[in-house]
Amino acid sequence: MGRWRRSPPVFRSIFLKTLRDYRIAILGWGIGMGLVIVSPMASVATLISTPQQRAALASLAASFAWNADPVKADTVGGYATFKIGIFVFLIVVWPLLAASRMLRGEEERSSLDVLLSVPRTRVRVAVEKVAAMWAALLAMAVLIGVIAFLGGKGFKADFTLVDGLLFGLNLALICAVFGGVALLASQFTQERGPAAGITAFVLLFAIVVDMVHRVIPNTDWVSRFSPIYYYNLSKPLIPSYGTSAGGMLVQLGLAAVLSGAAIWLFARRDVGSTVALPRWLSLPRRAPTTALPVRDWSLRSVYTRSLGMIGIPTFWWTLGIAAGAGWMVVVVQQLVGRMQTLLAGSPAFQHLLIQMGGAGAAFNASFLNAMFQLLPLLLMAFAVTQVNRWSADEDDGRLEIVLSTPHSRILVLLGRFAALATATVAIGLVTLAVTAIAASVVGVALDGTNLAEAVLGIIPMGLLVAAIGYLASGWLRTAADTGLVSFLLAAWFFISFIGPDLNWPDATLRVSPFYYYGSPLLHGLQLANVAVLLGVGIVALGLASLRFARKDIGV
Amino acid sequence: MTQPMIEVEKLTKSYGGKRGIADVSFQVGEGEVFGFLGPNGAGKTTTIRVLMALLRADSGSARVAGLDCWDGSIAIKRLIGYVPGEPSLDPNLTGGQILEYFANLRGGVDQAYLKQLIQRLDLDPSRKFRQYSTGNKRKVVLIQAFMHRPRVLILDEPTSGLDPLNQQEFDSMVNEASAQGCTVFLSSHVLSEVEKTCTRVGIIREGRLVRTGGVHELKDIKRYEITIAFAEVVPVETFKALEGVADVEMLNNGHAVRLAMQGAADAVIKAASRYHVVSLTSYEPSLEDVFLRYYEGDGQVAPEPARV
Repeated sequence: MGRWRRSPPVFRSIFLKTLRDYRIAILGWGIGMGLVIVSPMASVATLISTPQQRAALASLAASFAWNADPVKADTVGGYATFKIGIFVFLIVVWPLLAASRMLRGEEERSSLDVLLSVPRTRVRVAVEKVAAMWAALLAMAVLIGVIAFLGGKGFKADFTLVDGLLFGLNLALICAVFGGVALLASQFTQERGPAAGITAFVLLFAIVVDMVHRVIPNTDWVSRFSPIYYYNLSKPLIPSYGTSAGGMLVQLGLAAVLSGAAIWLFARRDVGSTVALPRWLSLPRRAPTTALPVRDWSLRSVYTRSLGMIGIPTFWWTLGIAAGAGWMVVVVQQLVGRMQTLLAGSPAFQHLLIQMGGAGAAFNASFLNAMFQLLPLLLMAFAVTQVNRWSADEDDGRLEIVLSTPHSRILVLLGRFAALATATVAIGLVTLAVTAIAASVVGVALDGTNLAEAVLGIIPMGLLVAAIGYLASGWLRTAADTGLVSFLLAAWFFISFIGPDLNWPDATLRVSPFYYYGSPLLHGLQLANVAVLLGVGIVALGLASLRFARKDIGV
Repeated sequence: MTQPMIEVEKLTKSYGGKRGIADVSFQVGEGEVFGFLGPNGAGKTTTIRVLMALLRADSGSARVAGLDCWDGSIAIKRLIGYVPGEPSLDPNLTGGQILEYFANLRGGVDQAYLKQLIQRLDLDPSRKFRQYSTGNKRKVVLIQAFMHRPRVLILDEPTSGLDPLNQQEFDSMVNEASAQGCTVFLSSHVLSEVEKTCTRVGIIREGRLVRTGGVHELKDIKRYEITIAFAEVVPVETFKALEGVADVEMLNNGHAVRLAMQGAADAVIKAASRYHVVSLTSYEPSLEDVFLRYYEGDGQVAPEPARV
């Protein structure tokens, strides 16, 4: 028998073991997000080469105030802070996922039963896990801060290493707040997925609430209800603006209260169960039926069952995407008048608008086009969650009995994919309806065909991500598969939104599906481009089917 | 053996460089109940998952009803009811919904028979799968395997988590299925269950099938014990060299002996009769003993030195 080796230090406490589990995320997310911060710094030099351009950039930034406060946008640190703007939601994705699975995920796998059998209180177990996540966020903050500082040094920024680290700390704090939301939400849900979904919805809502005061005058009090407001109070990369200790303390307090409440509830509820909600807050439940057959429409086939499974997440994502699109239309109406005045007086300004995300004579469409670039990203993120579910079902053995029925593996995969396709089409159609209604209600004139193409054009983008994810799941386990498609999504996004600023070659820009999406609100969808997206998607799905038909299941 | 329903020939499957199964060969006749025995990690589940076309064999062949398990998997699955070793089902569906879903996917399920199975195993179909105990989860999986009256049942440790009453009910279900001509392939390490339900048994160890045969045939390698209590002290040498005695142990300061026997007890009885015997007890080994013995060495019955 082999000699039992003394366990390494990382296995000596729950805190260290959990921190060890986060090591890849710390490096990946920390370095990745650091590079995200540095990317816009690279392009700012080309945007402020003359005093006129500098002035025009500052004015243009003011018109995009819905995205971020336009503070010193004509400096390296100011432009980076402004450009990142609402993309804070990308950074919050990791703590959102990590916190929703921190306790609930372990309960789903029943591994928490074993962990709670060790002589430690539940509170201690939960506190150690939360502390590990906070420590991971701090480590990421240091990485992000150092990379931001080095990037700033390279592009002659005027902020110091301390400023860079404070920037990272501010990000870590907002991440801890939404980690706390996810942990709290997971006390009320049976699975980690809904907890992550609820938190994503709260995050989007908080972003929109924070936007309000930048779009509608005298509404500062509304935005104060959003944690994002307190995050935006600090702009450490702009030395003259500095850091708000108060804003940071509010975030720290919120994170502590939310996590503390979650731990308090966790210590008092049944493991494997949820906190009981008051009756008036609970969803109405159908009385369970003992009679068979149940005659439930969703139990008729793999396709209908998959549709039944995807229904609730689709509802929430539709709500988020459609509401976001409707909000964009409302915001655009606020900005158009101001923008027209600026554009008329400055050719440099017009040039900048093109570089910052699209322009044209039709102001409404120009602005909305820039904002609508978020829609395919959101639908693709939804596709990533469904790729994760497909892959997890195989890993967890949930396909085992389905594949023991007389249906080919290819039909099982295609049934599942067809349900996802149906969900994406539904999201597209509802978003189109909401956008058209919002435009009509607030009086924003838009080309109906272009609007339809812009909204429905996101569907092939979502399906492409799903097909690639399904293909990768033929070789990779859930975490690696989800990580790969998430990475691809982030890489594509930044190729398309940073690449043009850096004058990257056309061949590189063509790697990203966003290139093929183009600016449909301005120019309509190009049929050839849609064909490319669909073609690649179909090939990926075909290969995914062939691979799935031949692979060992659950290995 | 009747016409073979399951034929496995030199089946080999590895996971990268790690062992799965190697050169496994056996046949299961139609209507037969075949027990597949082995400890954890021996290769039982790998063999079953190859039969179910969830894994693709590296070499060798596996056939069910004359059809290749991989190429003819869909046709085979029309004949099969399957219980996986670690069943995982949608936690948000009720037991009833799960059974209806699989009834729809399989087709040909008699609702009256399904209700009868639910009653027999005393399952409440209105509860969500996540709310079931381990035993109740197992019942759902068992019912979905039996509900379409399959011609072949492939069951991977089917009674794990069931209480004794439900195990008994399961035994009856297997016996009834077998009586109706159903072929049953059942993996287990609960040997008493195999003893009760199976006609033939195969033992797998470290990926290799070390023996197949009738349940009774396997007992030819069995040892049994005889404990004899005497009114006086009896020297253990009296029994040491006797035919059929594998081991002797002195008990109670020489007033009793425990004999490990392999073969006939005639010589022992005759030797003991020379003394005043107070009591004599014989223990029949269970299949567990036979099974454990197989894992002492490499599948051969290891001779043990007699102990005094």
